[in-house]
Amino acid sequence: MMSLPFLLFACGLGAAWLSQRGAAMGFWVAGLVVLLVLFRAHFGDALNIAL
Amino acid sequence: MITVPGDLSRLLNGLGLIAVDTLLVIAFVDQLWFRDLPCPICILQRAGFVAAGFGIALNLLFGPRPSHYGMTILGAAVGAAIAMRQILLHIVPDSGSYGNAVFGMHLYTWAFIGFVLMIIGSAVLQLDDRQFARSEPWSNRLDVLPLTALVTFIVLAVGNIFSTLLLCGAGFCPEAPTGYLI
Repeated sequence: MMSLPFLLFACGLGAAWLSQRGAAMGFWVAGLVVLLVLFRAHFGDALNIAL
Repeated sequence: MITVPGDLSRLLNGLGLIAVDTLLVIAFVDQLWFRDLPCPICILQRAGFVAAGFGIALNLLFGPRPSHYGMTILGAAVGAAIAMRQILLHIVPDSGSYGNAVFGMHLYTWAFIGFVLMIIGSAVLQLDDRQFARSEPWSNRLDVLPLTALVTFIVLAVGNIFSTLLLCGAGFCPEAPTGYLI
């Protein structure tokens, strides 16, 4: 799950290398959306502090 | 020899991508050499650097376009938000920190500075309109610096897929990882 943004960005870079600019940008948008979803999932990670 | 604004833009984009490569390499060195395993938010910051560097990579492959600089700015903005979240987690005095300090600051603080510099750098580079006039596809004449930066960037993006899989498996990562799951 956490490796999904890297996978999508890598696919995008592969598409860019093959001169598929539209596909590359599509993969980038998908990767950014997944990154934001994962950030939302971890946004509330508790800080373990003893007060 | 730099002769036209397009060449200067290519040089600066190449150097920018090498800077992103360097940050991702430092993260790997900290993980592999110093056994400082990344937390979930740290991994997302790495993904933020790949998202931001993506626009620079497209600049090198297809030539500079405002949309590519926009991708870099958006990716860096997301990364900066993630890094800021982690800074705020530890901003309370005596609340500890995560990972090793490098030159007095933790990696998430350096990451925030890096993202801000990427936003400012992309905005400044966009100010020169002459770079957008070039019609020739740049990928036909990639020279050593941009090619090295690009290949290294792709290798690091793929390396992060495997690193994250080893650390977290197929699901979410533990909040404070103590070892590799795979």
